[in-house]
Formats: sequence, C-alpha cells, structure tokens
Amino acid sequence: MNRRIRRVSRWIDDLLHDRSPRCFRGAEDDTDVLAAAIELQGASPSAGLPDPQFVESLRQRIARETQGEVPRAPRVSRRTLLASGGFAAATAAAGIIVGERFSGPSTRQNELQPVGATWTAVALVSEVPEGMARTFDTGSVRGFVVNRGGAITALSGVCTHLGCLLQLNAAARRLDCPCHSAAFGFDGSVLFKHMPDSLPPLPLMESRIRDGNIEVLTV
Amino acid sequence: MDNRSQPGEAGVFHVIDGDRPLDWERVYREHVTSIYRLLYHKVGNQHDAEDLTSQVFLEALPRLRASASGGEIHMYLVTTARTVLAGHWRQRLGVQVTEIDENLVMAAESQSPPADPLPRIRRILAMLPANYRRVLELRFLERCSVGETATRMGISAGNARVVQYRALQRAAELGQEVGA
Repeated sequence: MNRRIRRVSRWIDDLLHDRSPRCFRGAEDDTDVLAAAIELQGASPSAGLPDPQFVESLRQRIARETQGEVPRAPRVSRRTLLASGGFAAATAAAGIIVGERFSGPSTRQNELQPVGATWTAVALVSEVPEGMARTFDTGSVRGFVVNRGGAITALSGVCTHLGCLLQLNAAARRLDCPCHSAAFGFDGSVLFKHMPDSLPPLPLMESRIRDGNIEVLTV
Repeated sequence: MDNRSQPGEAGVFHVIDGDRPLDWERVYREHVTSIYRLLYHKVGNQHDAEDLTSQVFLEALPRLRASASGGEIHMYLVTTARTVLAGHWRQRLGVQVTEIDENLVMAAESQSPPADPLPRIRRILAMLPANYRRVLELRFLERCSVGETATRMGISAGNARVVQYRALQRAAELGQEVGA
C-alpha cells in the first residue's frame, strides 16, 4: 500500500511540474484518485491559456505539414482573433500572443485594434474625473475608461489569465479579477496575483475623444 | 458532418465541397485556446495537453470543410479531442482515467465558453475534513512539494503522502456527489 501511495504521489509531482506523468503498474486501481488530482490541476496557472510559443510553433508545424509553407501574417492573426466570436477568450489570448510578437523593448503593453470596427461612445469625458475609471459595455466589448493625470485611455475588461470579467474597485483604484484574486492598476499593469506564473498586463484599446465623448474602437 | 477527405494537390488542404480554400489559420486561432483548455482539464499537465492539442489540429484540419460553420468546426474538433484523449489513456495506462463527455461534444456546437473549474474545486475542497483540505490546498493551490507540505502540516513526509492519497479518494467521492 505504501508503495502505491508513493507512486501516486510521484505521479502528482509530475502533474504539478506540468510534466507528462510516468506510468506505473496498478494505476488502474487508482483511476479515481488520479482523476481527482487532474481535476484539482484545473487551478493551475497553465490550465488557462496555452503558452504563446507553443501556439506559434504548432501553427508553423501545421503550415509545414499541411501546406508546405509558413504563412506570414501576424497582423492577420491578431485581426482574426478579434474578429472571432468569444471576445473574452480573444482578448485574453490577444493579450499574450500580441505581447509576444509585437511588443518592442519600449512597449510594455499592447493595443487591440479590431478590424471592421467602429468608434463607439462609451462615456462622457466629464464622467471620468482624474484618477477615476468607469466600466463600459458595448454588448460586444467590455472594458474600462480611465483618467490618469488628465490622459484618458481604454483598457480591456477581461483578465489576461482565464478570461474572467474584471470588476472596478474604485476605492482601491484598481481592477479586480474575482477568479484568482488578481488585480490590475489603472494603467493595465499587474498589481498582484495569486498564481506563480507571469500575468500579462491588460491590453489597451484604441480610444479617442470627440465632442466631449470618450469613444472606443469596437467590433 | 462529412469527414472524408479527398485527394488533392500535395500540400493543399482537401476541400470537400467547392473550391473555396479553408482558412485554416483562422480556424486554428479561433479554436486552439479552447481545445488546449479542454484537454488540459482532462490530463492535468501542460506537456500532454500540448501534445494532444497538436494531434487534434493535425488530424482534424485537413478534414474540415471550408463551408462548415464555427459551431460545426468546434464540434468536430471536440470530437477529435475525445478520440485523441481516449487513445492517450489507452496507450499510457490501459485504462481511461478521464474522458470528454458525449454531451459536451453535442454542446460544443453552441460554442459556449468552458465553465470556470474553480467554483467546483472550491466546493469540493470546502466539503473535505480540515486536514484533507489543507493537504490538497498546499499541494494543488500553493504548489508545495511533499516535503514542504509535511513541514507546514507538522507531519512526516510519508504521512503527508498518505493524507494526500486519502484526501484525493474523498475528493473523488465528493466530486461524484457534487455532480458536474
């Protein structure tokens, strides 16, 4: 019995290190225990979004094995992501993928630019005083407009971890993720997170001011 | 869905109806995250989740019709994932530890986002006796080693492994009671 318990524990060690677990004899008697461990791994940071490097290398492999060439179209990738359904997933994924491929040394944060998009008024400038933020929801896009020192910007309202919708915590001047107790600042940076892996900053959305309105480019 | 592929030019996706080529890159970008997540929750580690995700796309993409709807494509990918996962367990342990529910395959057509697994995990943990809950929290949420877990619980490493094993057995039972 002790040996069996040790083997299961080693198997779990592999899971926790995101390695492929080693097979062991007698595992068939412990499938319920193994399945429970797998379910608990749903709380793992890597259960959320695939590694951008993996996504890109598989894309190249598919191109190589099925089409004979690697299509070169990073912009198209970003656009198709945004044009696709499920904005939460798209934004979350874009936050990472775009971050990996577009951010130069000086750009910490990425900007979402949906294709075929229109400018939508989401708030009055007067409604967002300095140091404050306001939630907006256009039906297809949810985010925040923030006023930092008189400069107004728009941020995605979707956590870059698992795509949970962020909540405005006006008192603490931050955007809270209810899923894993993470929080972002009004500049999109990560304030804190309860997960060991890195959490990308919130992507900026393209915004402008017209006739006293804050407008955001949305699909 | 008609999954047959037809012979075509080398290196070009087989398009079953019409001449319109499949925008495989769009399909891939739209679905890679959800298929990866689905598989991660069935194998519990990044290595296998990536391996199986690769298998799903490499097998399914050449068979997709260009005219298929987003829902149909998703359903076909989930169906392929179900088969790939079954093969994975058959090869690894000879027994299917987890499976993709047939109902999920049917529901895949609606393309609803996957449910957040954490509320269910929290519910199961909350129902466990304190020492069982503690060992699983330390291991799976705080990601402590057996040694660290033992130290923080004030027990031996061997004992921590036993408590972990019993806790998982109980968690599995509770998982059945709690339902999906």
